[in-house]
Amino acid sequence: MSRIKEFNLPDLGEGLTEGEILSWLVKVGDTIELNQPIVEVETAKAAVEIPAKWAGVISRIFVEAGSTVEVGSPIVAIDTDPSAGPLPSSGDGPVPSAESLAAVDIAPAEGAVEPGLIGGPAPGGRTAVLVGYGPRNTTAKRRPRVGTPGASATAAVPAPVTTPEPVAAPEPVQAPEPARVGPVLAKPPVRKLARDLGIDLATVTGTGPLGSVTRDDVQQAAAQPQAAGATPAAAVFDASREQRIPVKGVRKLTAENMVASAFTAPHVTEFLTVDVTRAMKALEKIKARPEFRDVRVSPLLLVAKAVLLAVRRHPMVNSSWSAQTNEIVVKEYVNLGIAAATERGLIVPNIKDAGRLSLRELAEALNTLVQVAKSGKTPPSDMSAGTLSITNVGVFGVDTGTPILPPGESAILAFGAVKPMPWVHKGKIKIRQVTTLGLSFDHRIIDGELGSKFLRDIGRFLTDPEEALLAWT
Amino acid sequence: MANGEREVGVDAPAGGFVQLLTPDGERVDSVTTADGTTYSVSFTDDEYRELYKDLVTVRRLDAEATALQRQGELGIWASLLGQEAAQVGSGRALRPQDMAFPTYREHGVLYTRGIDPIMPFGLFRGVDQGGWDPNEYKFNTYTIVIGAQTLHATGYAMGITMDGKTGNPDGEAVIAYFGDGATSQGEVNESFVWSGVFNAPIVFFCQNNQYAISEPLERQTRIPLYRRAAGYGFPGVRIDGNDVLATFAVTRAALDNARNGQGPTLIEAYTYRMGAHTSSDDPTRYRIASEVESWKAKDPISRLRAFLAKQQLADDTFFAEVDEAAKTLALDLRERVLSMPDPQPVSLFDNVYPTGSPEIDAQRARFVEYQASFEGSDH
Amino acid sequence: MTEPDRGGKPQKKTVGENLSLGKALNHGLRRSLENDSKVVIMGEDVGKLGGVFRITDGLQKDFGEDRIIDTPLAEAGIVGTAVGLAIRGYRPVCEIQFDGFVFPAYNQIVAQVAKMFYRSKGNVRLPIVIRIPYGGGIGAVEHHSESPEGYFAHTPGLKVVTCSTPLDAYTMIQQAIATDDPIVFFEPKRRYWEKGEVDLDADLASAYPLHAARVAREGTDATLLAYGPMVRTALDAATAAAEDGRNLEVIDLRSLSPVDYPAIYASVRKTGRAVVVHEAPGNLGVGAELAARITEECFYSLEAPVLRVTGFDVPYPAARVEEEYLPDLDRVLDAVDRSFGW
Repeated sequence: MSRIKEFNLPDLGEGLTEGEILSWLVKVGDTIELNQPIVEVETAKAAVEIPAKWAGVISRIFVEAGSTVEVGSPIVAIDTDPSAGPLPSSGDGPVPSAESLAAVDIAPAEGAVEPGLIGGPAPGGRTAVLVGYGPRNTTAKRRPRVGTPGASATAAVPAPVTTPEPVAAPEPVQAPEPARVGPVLAKPPVRKLARDLGIDLATVTGTGPLGSVTRDDVQQAAAQPQAAGATPAAAVFDASREQRIPVKGVRKLTAENMVASAFTAPHVTEFLTVDVTRAMKALEKIKARPEFRDVRVSPLLLVAKAVLLAVRRHPMVNSSWSAQTNEIVVKEYVNLGIAAATERGLIVPNIKDAGRLSLRELAEALNTLVQVAKSGKTPPSDMSAGTLSITNVGVFGVDTGTPILPPGESAILAFGAVKPMPWVHKGKIKIRQVTTLGLSFDHRIIDGELGSKFLRDIGRFLTDPEEALLAWT
Repeated sequence: MANGEREVGVDAPAGGFVQLLTPDGERVDSVTTADGTTYSVSFTDDEYRELYKDLVTVRRLDAEATALQRQGELGIWASLLGQEAAQVGSGRALRPQDMAFPTYREHGVLYTRGIDPIMPFGLFRGVDQGGWDPNEYKFNTYTIVIGAQTLHATGYAMGITMDGKTGNPDGEAVIAYFGDGATSQGEVNESFVWSGVFNAPIVFFCQNNQYAISEPLERQTRIPLYRRAAGYGFPGVRIDGNDVLATFAVTRAALDNARNGQGPTLIEAYTYRMGAHTSSDDPTRYRIASEVESWKAKDPISRLRAFLAKQQLADDTFFAEVDEAAKTLALDLRERVLSMPDPQPVSLFDNVYPTGSPEIDAQRARFVEYQASFEGSDH
Repeated sequence: MTEPDRGGKPQKKTVGENLSLGKALNHGLRRSLENDSKVVIMGEDVGKLGGVFRITDGLQKDFGEDRIIDTPLAEAGIVGTAVGLAIRGYRPVCEIQFDGFVFPAYNQIVAQVAKMFYRSKGNVRLPIVIRIPYGGGIGAVEHHSESPEGYFAHTPGLKVVTCSTPLDAYTMIQQAIATDDPIVFFEPKRRYWEKGEVDLDADLASAYPLHAARVAREGTDATLLAYGPMVRTALDAATAAAEDGRNLEVIDLRSLSPVDYPAIYASVRKTGRAVVVHEAPGNLGVGAELAARITEECFYSLEAPVLRVTGFDVPYPAARVEEEYLPDLDRVLDAVDRSFGW
């Protein structure tokens, strides 16, 4: 029966879940028109007048002024058809006939369910079901415990428990613990610790609940050189002082690659110490350029550029040894690998076709590569098909190294820290920005002459980028 | 009913039914069924008026309960609207020593037993589960699991026999109420088996109100329900469930047969559930307006009123007084329902076992402690 | 209630007879029928035939058809009419012929019997005993070897007990009938013919309490928790373990609802290790509840987690392979070995 319509507190927007009834603008028995304002409600932000959803007669008001009510809860009932005779609930008038009570209703409009019918709104903010009051909405709020701050909040909003003071927790109700003679009490993990440390629990005084031995108790006992009369814990060199870490994932793969590379390609490493002061200055100029305003620029960028330019002059270094086909495969494209240390180990993602990138594109690619590697999200495609790599050991403050070739590559450059060092500059001792480059190469493909020339060219660019560019291009 | 030669009863289903008061308020002196039993009533004027009063009161109280549910004061209400005659007629046929096993809709029967009408309201309001002492009221607690009570009723009836309280006119009898839907339940059929085999002093009173929630009668049976009894070996009779006189006559006769040691009878009271199954059911989803309209014309109260008026056994003053008294009772009931207190939380743990349990005691103790740890609890 | 002496030996010397468990039940039923005229027994084939296991043998002859009632073949009817009889003032003892056939009565047991006292606020007492032969090991065809005790122990409002010896069978059946609580009484059918001393003069008031656990064998190294048919299995396991130098304590739970937790905790706190044994499938069985409780209440005493030796989580298998399914001495001791491995 839809004649009596219950009006629920509507959603007032902005995620508000309740409102306080400030004042009723009508009373029971008043005739109202559609959209006539009937109640004033205060939300957290403002006072709002709510218009009536139906015309009719106010038949019942559920919530008094001053109360707070949840959105969706009924606040007033409106008799939308007062001319159909008296209501059964009003108590006035003659006995309702079977007719009025068994009034055949038109089925509700599609989608909307009449209040009081299954799935429709029911009093108390619930949803009507066949067999009872129906479910109601709950809020994710804790009831305040005794002794918590904010526990004496206003009735309107139950105080959320933020940092409860430690209340003396009620003892867990259990059968009374018999007086402890006999077995030692200790949690299972503590027993294991004691066993691993070689401590006899019976010799340890327990400070935990019910006189149990705690983890601290055991560790203290282990740290004591001797307890009076107790057997000292002897120094051991065994599993109890060893940590076993399973080999898997990135570390496993890296190890396999290292082994394959190190024991297949005869590695030779050559070193060149260069004065990169001019390169550092060039870097400053680059940074100041408008197109580099929002791109991070670092010395690695210039080293990468140096390597790429040098590869053009010595293409043979960008190759790989194919044992199956007994061939050296020289590649036209440079997939420049940059070694990156991540949480899970060392990976060498590469920048595809780096040789075709402009300086700015190269800078962007380097930044992206480093960021992605740090986030642990480098895709497998980035880590395959590298042709030549750089490992920046300089970030750790290390001068240089003898890097191991990534699989399938024939040359890898270790770029060390750039440090102010005394240098002979125009015949005088000056402090210059100096770094050491270490180039490892596969001696099957690259002999000393080629390797040296390649390294020399990298150094030449870093020593004087302008001069090298003019000479080479 | 005659042997199908002529229809007996106005607005009767095929095969007829026992009717002593037509929908227009005309009296039928007596009806003889195919097995040769003759049914009739002879009431005094006062008794007719009392019956009318019962019907009106029971309907008025039911209407009040429906309103209370709409207002959120009851979680659910199972309305008996339309079934007043079936319940009052059978309820008044019971003798004081008889025992009734209701389903959850027999508020009208409860009323005729002289029980305070508020008794089932705890169940529907959700403050208790409607538990009262069946032996004190000769009226069992309401049973929600469909049909389960028919076995309880049968066992009780077997107990009457074992106590030697059958086989004489002062013997005890049992009446078990259930609906058309329940006749499909295995347990109801088992109760037919048992009561037949043990010749139990029981009347099975089926209020066939044509629907089990939305399932119509055709979903429960291929044949008229009263004929099922033959399969179990005891008599079945169909009555006009909207006729309080026929209901009284047939039920009284069946109960007397039972207490005299003649065993069970199945009575099918052919009636109609004018309202919804329970309060939030929407009957418009499964039945058509014209069907409901046709049953309005067979209303149990209006036919008795018409009879009383025509026979000049009552006038408008009387009718108004009856309405007024019913309303007063209803409003009093309303007040008392509204002041029913919610149960105390700790009462969750009461009455689980007659001899108690250490487990329950432990849980109760923990619960009390836990509740006391909250602000605003009455530690 | 004062703690009963849970010692491994019965309290007083039994002046008793050596009876089978089935016979002990028969005697106990007889005593109950004699003591209270309101006690009736009802079930399929319980009267003339004396029951398919002869548990009610000879009773109808002596107490009549009104008190030993042969019922129609309808388990729901057996329990449902028992409810009506109980409301009328009788004390019905229902027999469900086999464990696998209790399910038609499940509705009446858990929806009606279990709830009645609670929902009537104490107005309606149903002093009903539902006797069920249960468990496997008799080489039976399907549905005759189930262990459904968990479904009932899980239901509030019911109490569930199970005897393992003739001595306990004799007193427990009488105590179950005498109490006003509704009791589901599980009888280990594979043990029906095993004999033991029974004190036929046992006075109910001073007999071992219905819901108390019993220390069937004292020990120090680990606690075996068993009930019904598995008590014997656990005792056999303890005997074998003694030869390996392990001294196992065996607790016969006797009551599954309520469980005598103080007795269990006392034992586990002493030994530090617990192994539960039951035929019912392990998943969500009685053992799971025991393990959870023991872990919570005896946490500081545990040397190892509580282990369970149970039926597998498969439907009960065919007769010729059931021995592989049922927990036996070897599986129990395997669990004990594993417990010591922690």
